[in-house]
Amino acid sequence: MDILETRNLKKYYKTGNNGIVVKALDGIDLSIKKGEFLSITGTSGSGKTTLLHMLGGLDTPTSGSIYVDGKDISNMDKDELAIFRRRKIGFVFQNYNLLPLMNVYENIVLPVRLDGIRPDKIFVDKIINSLGLTDKKYSMPCQLSGGQQQRVALARALAAKPSIILADEPTGNLDSRTSLDVLGLIKTCAAQFSQTIAMITHNEEIAQMAGRIIRLEDGRIYGGGRTYDESK
Amino acid sequence: MMKVNNKPVINEIALTTYKANKKRNLLIIFAISLSTFLIASIISIGTSYWKTTMERQLYTSGMDYDIALTEPEDAQIKKARSIEEIKYAGLLVKCAVIEKYKQKMLDKTRLYWADNTCFDKMVLPALETFTGSYPEKENEILLSSRTLENMGIKKPYKGMGLKLSYYTLEEGTDEEILEREFTLCGWYTDYTGKSKGYISEKFYKKSNVKPTDFTQGSLKIKLKQPLYTEKDILALQNTLSLSNRQIIEADADIISYFIKITAGLAGILFMVFASSYLFIYNTLYISVSKDIRYYGQLKTIGMTSVQLKRLINRQACWNALAGIPTGLAVAIILSKIIIPEVIGIIDYSFNKNNTVPVNIWTFLIAGIFAMAVNKASSHKPARIAAGCSPVEALNYTGISVKQKYRKRESTSIFSMAMQNIFRNKKQAFIIFLSFVTAISVYLCTSIYIRANDAKYILNEVLDYDIRFQNETTLEEEKPLFTKEKIKQLENLPGIKSVRTVSSKEVVIPYQEETFGKYFKELYSTRYFPSKSYKSDMEEYKKNPENGFFTSRFIGIDEAGFECLNKSVGNILDKNDFEAGKTTVTIRTFTEGDSGMTGKTVNFRLPGGLNPEKEYSIKIAAVASQNSNPAFFAGGIAPEMIVSEKFAEKLLGKTYIEAVMAEYKEPYNKETEKTAISVFDGINEISNESRLRNYNEMKTTENKTKVLGNSISIIMAILAIFNYLDMMASNVHSRSNEIATLESIGMTSKQVKRMLGTEGLGYSFISVIVSLAAGIPLSYAVFNAINLYAGVYYSIPWGRNIAFFVIITTICVAAPIIVYQKTQNQNLTSRMGENF
Repeated sequence: MDILETRNLKKYYKTGNNGIVVKALDGIDLSIKKGEFLSITGTSGSGKTTLLHMLGGLDTPTSGSIYVDGKDISNMDKDELAIFRRRKIGFVFQNYNLLPLMNVYENIVLPVRLDGIRPDKIFVDKIINSLGLTDKKYSMPCQLSGGQQQRVALARALAAKPSIILADEPTGNLDSRTSLDVLGLIKTCAAQFSQTIAMITHNEEIAQMAGRIIRLEDGRIYGGGRTYDESK
Repeated sequence: MMKVNNKPVINEIALTTYKANKKRNLLIIFAISLSTFLIASIISIGTSYWKTTMERQLYTSGMDYDIALTEPEDAQIKKARSIEEIKYAGLLVKCAVIEKYKQKMLDKTRLYWADNTCFDKMVLPALETFTGSYPEKENEILLSSRTLENMGIKKPYKGMGLKLSYYTLEEGTDEEILEREFTLCGWYTDYTGKSKGYISEKFYKKSNVKPTDFTQGSLKIKLKQPLYTEKDILALQNTLSLSNRQIIEADADIISYFIKITAGLAGILFMVFASSYLFIYNTLYISVSKDIRYYGQLKTIGMTSVQLKRLINRQACWNALAGIPTGLAVAIILSKIIIPEVIGIIDYSFNKNNTVPVNIWTFLIAGIFAMAVNKASSHKPARIAAGCSPVEALNYTGISVKQKYRKRESTSIFSMAMQNIFRNKKQAFIIFLSFVTAISVYLCTSIYIRANDAKYILNEVLDYDIRFQNETTLEEEKPLFTKEKIKQLENLPGIKSVRTVSSKEVVIPYQEETFGKYFKELYSTRYFPSKSYKSDMEEYKKNPENGFFTSRFIGIDEAGFECLNKSVGNILDKNDFEAGKTTVTIRTFTEGDSGMTGKTVNFRLPGGLNPEKEYSIKIAAVASQNSNPAFFAGGIAPEMIVSEKFAEKLLGKTYIEAVMAEYKEPYNKETEKTAISVFDGINEISNESRLRNYNEMKTTENKTKVLGNSISIIMAILAIFNYLDMMASNVHSRSNEIATLESIGMTSKQVKRMLGTEGLGYSFISVIVSLAAGIPLSYAVFNAINLYAGVYYSIPWGRNIAFFVIITTICVAAPIIVYQKTQNQNLTSRMGENF
């Protein structure tokens, strides 16, 4: 069953005053099955991050559709998208994007609290434990190493029990050993909580850990992906 | 080492950057010109406001002097004039009292003689208007506008003949009524509210009143150094060798008052300067932090920190050159054109010239200060830019968190907002400081304006719109206030209520238990010779019916009771008072109740139903003369105030001394005219009204109000702009963080709620702190400026609450609007992620 699907997804930008159009995404047809682990690779500027942002509702397409759990999110307004994100999507950014004034625990439970729900403490503690953050529960982000911050970002992505985890080079700022640790955790957690993962990476070795790899060039899928028609 | 000539390239880059950021630079120019404008106008309007209120205080006091020596002897006058510390000393002698003009009884119109020094240097500066000249011939007279009005003279002219009945105050004479045709040689207006006049030296000499006569003569002294201590006064007392009953009238608190006022003004000025500094600093800071990546790039390609600082300073200099003259020009326009026009609109008779004198120094100081502020405020942002490494510059957010560990699990929007308020302590301090300053200054100014508001003063001092007084009360006792007349007054369409005060002579036999302490205290004041205490008391015991010992039995109605009860702190039991079980006694010259409260007083009423019968009544409270609704006094025994019902019961028919009326619409000219017409033709009835007092005070009234309010508004504008600036900087620096919050599911509504709560927090804390700081400060200001007994400290809550509401609305709305206007790019670009 497809949990994520894009149809002829396009994102064009105009740059400068000369009106040159940059085609960040140029007709992407993609479908991802529930529980699948997908790697997105490609050169710099190929449109990987734009695609991930589109899938997560961080950005809106110029044209085309995005279906999540069968629901078209491309026409949602800002607030609907925000609610959609906190319920369905867990983001893991390369730069972690933790809130500097909140401690580890507060960062993790924030998306749940924003939904007006009391955090499931047992579940959150389980995530904290499994990510090895028990000792750091009340530390401030500035006190953590890069790997620890990325684990907090992952914990935050998992806390709301989202069905999809979107990770943008989650190991980009980590050393190879920590990278493998974090990736292992993502896979384990996803398997444990039946989540779908779409992950951007430059690292071929890491990409190989995924169930499927797609390669993007100039805003188009060049390999590994299935187009909408093919998926039929 | 060879000097590198890089000035042209720095200039070129500075110019290119400057041109590229037109909008931002316009904002900086606006900030600089606004700050310059605020400083210049606060100084110029503030000076003018201060001058106006001081002028008004002078008009109210009626004379310009520092201290006074009572009953001066010739030798003392000569000595005083030779003392180094004394600038000049003028002699004032009260010589006579006018009783009647034609057939019209006048209300104690005192006539003074002032020597040249006293009149020219002390009286003249305290007059709002003066027409004519000081009397020279024996029959010449100079009168206050109030006196002429009481005489019914609307259009006075020089040389006007005035046939007056008067008595001189020569010691030992028995107020023998004399008649004389005087010639009016001039008239004047001041704010003393007193009916008085001046006569010539020739008249004074013939009156036989001497400067040494008790309470008649006074040497008014102007000191070279108006700030003096108690020690200085004691030294002066020794130099002048004061006799027993002589005193030097001086204000013991003058230095502490001066320190308070100076500290207050310095504080306000400091706050204005600090707020202006912060305003420019923040605008430049936002500008630099927006460009910090660009500066990082310049450093990457080899620009040194010194060059970068020079580049930023150069741009700041250009902004200052554009902003400062603009700000000064607007301040001049406001001071010279707008404010006089506004006052002119309110009061068409107002002379618009020199409302706010444009002093070149004021504007020069403001200009230099703005330049210095601009220089100082560009220093730190320039240092930040220069100190940032190229890599740091790319990730610069301006946020640093020092806390390492916090055991807390709260993530509600409220707690997030509270954290955000104090995340940048320096910024929070600046916002609070500027708000607290503005709100406190607003509070103090509003109280200052109210304390100077003529209508407010008159409403507090006079509890009626008009009061009619029967001038025959002590002598002929003509029953002028008949039931018909009072009814006629009550039935007038503009009259809301009418009150009456009755009074009659009362004999109070000597009662040691009740009044012993009071008489001892009375005779220890300078108004009674202590050596005659024993003999007077002996006489009192023997002959209590002597007019020197009798008193007045004053009857008041229910409305009068409310006023009296309020003045004694609402301690009276109405039922007991109305039933004649209690009385309130009035003390003169003494302080406190002298042990009278709770005791019983025995009395007789020679004009009552049972003249020989001795009644007794309990004293429920002792009040000062200010609470006495009756005008005429008796002998030394305290006056007794009882209920009108009780007075009627003992007297049969009471004698009405005064009638007071309240208008439906206060200060209504028509109502006043018709009210006065009720007693038309009865010359023995005088009147005093709020409207008449107000007419005298209103010239400076409008000026004071417009200038005072302008200062408040300017302070508020300064605080609000500072806040807007801070919030813009705050939201801008948190742009990435807000985008992150949105990325993990915070809706824009939740973001707005968080920002709005932060604004609410700023406003709430500022208002609380301002009230805590502003109320004691304004209380000190009020005590320092209040000249009127009966006017009590009170906060004009209406306008202050309106101001708090405006501040709160702006505080809540501003960050939301800044968020909506500045954070409208898509999430990904705000988060700094690139595709």
